[in-house]
Amino acid sequence: MDVQEAVSQSTPIGAADEHGEAKRDGLRKFTMGPNDSLEGKLSYDGHVNVDGRAEGEFRVTGNIDVAPGAKVKAYLEASNVTIRGEVEGALNARDKLILGKNAKLSGDIHVRRLQIEDGASLNGHVRMGDVEQQGSGG
Amino acid sequence: MATSAWATLSSRAPGARVPRSTADQPPPAADPAGVRNALVLGPRDRLIGELHIDGDVRLGGTVEGQIVATGDVEIDDEAKVNASLAGRDVNIRGHVSGSVTARKRLVVAKSGSLTGDVRVARLVIQDGATFSGNVSMGPAPERVAKPPEPEPIAAGDGEKRSTDGQATPPEAKGTMPEANVAPPQVKVTPPELKSRPSEVKGKPAEGKGKQPEGKGSKPKR
Repeated sequence: MDVQEAVSQSTPIGAADEHGEAKRDGLRKFTMGPNDSLEGKLSYDGHVNVDGRAEGEFRVTGNIDVAPGAKVKAYLEASNVTIRGEVEGALNARDKLILGKNAKLSGDIHVRRLQIEDGASLNGHVRMGDVEQQGSGG
Repeated sequence: MATSAWATLSSRAPGARVPRSTADQPPPAADPAGVRNALVLGPRDRLIGELHIDGDVRLGGTVEGQIVATGDVEIDDEAKVNASLAGRDVNIRGHVSGSVTARKRLVVAKSGSLTGDVRVARLVIQDGATFSGNVSMGPAPERVAKPPEPEPIAAGDGEKRSTDGQATPPEAKGTMPEANVAPPQVKVTPPELKSRPSEVKGKPAEGKGKQPEGKGSKPKR
């Protein structure tokens, strides 16, 4: 009986500029603000910027940026991953992972290239080499 | 007031204060004036074995075994090191395969490659470097401060060793009789991750057939 129509509250799509979607180098970009949070699975054709809180599973064709102060508990899969906040979970970077100087990452990672700046913290297993979609079975 | 303090101090163990003041002085090895012991191995030098050195090490050639230094360890570009390394600052520009313990900081430069488990306080990996292994960072337990000593082959050790596949002694299984099948200590799996499908693939070593219940049922009947 209390079913509400969410449609009536949704903002028009074109208006989402600074948060929400914006285009860059041909790929869409999804930006979460510091007060946003996301729980669940996301497959996204574009870049994702995470500020705020995120939990779940993120598979992205573009890049993932985790801002300083952001807290992420998720499996991350992307081309380039740049972490300046806190991340807990496995991570798969098809190209490169950068851990900024205040980054905290705990989880097993599989990357092609890796750069860790002084001050970053990492706990987990590191595997380097070409990343196929989910690694090989055996 | 000062007189009362004197009275307390002098009445209690007067002799103990004298050696205490000398003990506060730094040991001569930590002298920063360049007098510190240092070993440099050039590209054509070779070391196979175990080296404990009170000072710095710089390796440019072939090294196999174990290097434990109180100072810094530096691995040059052409070096081929098949050894476990321990030092204060560890700087890798060459090729290293083995575990690394850095009490202060480990740097893998862009020409460097490292395969092995790493226990460090701080870690820098430059773009272009190659690294595979386990990393543990953060507030280190006392284990790091101690010089690494040959530990007995424990049953619970197998799961950790088997991830790199090279350090597992082949007869590790044979040494375990059918007696006490004490369960190994609790596995350190982050609880939040158990729902991730990728986690299963990431640790193939766990399915290594360590099933206590299979063994326990045998002698019963």
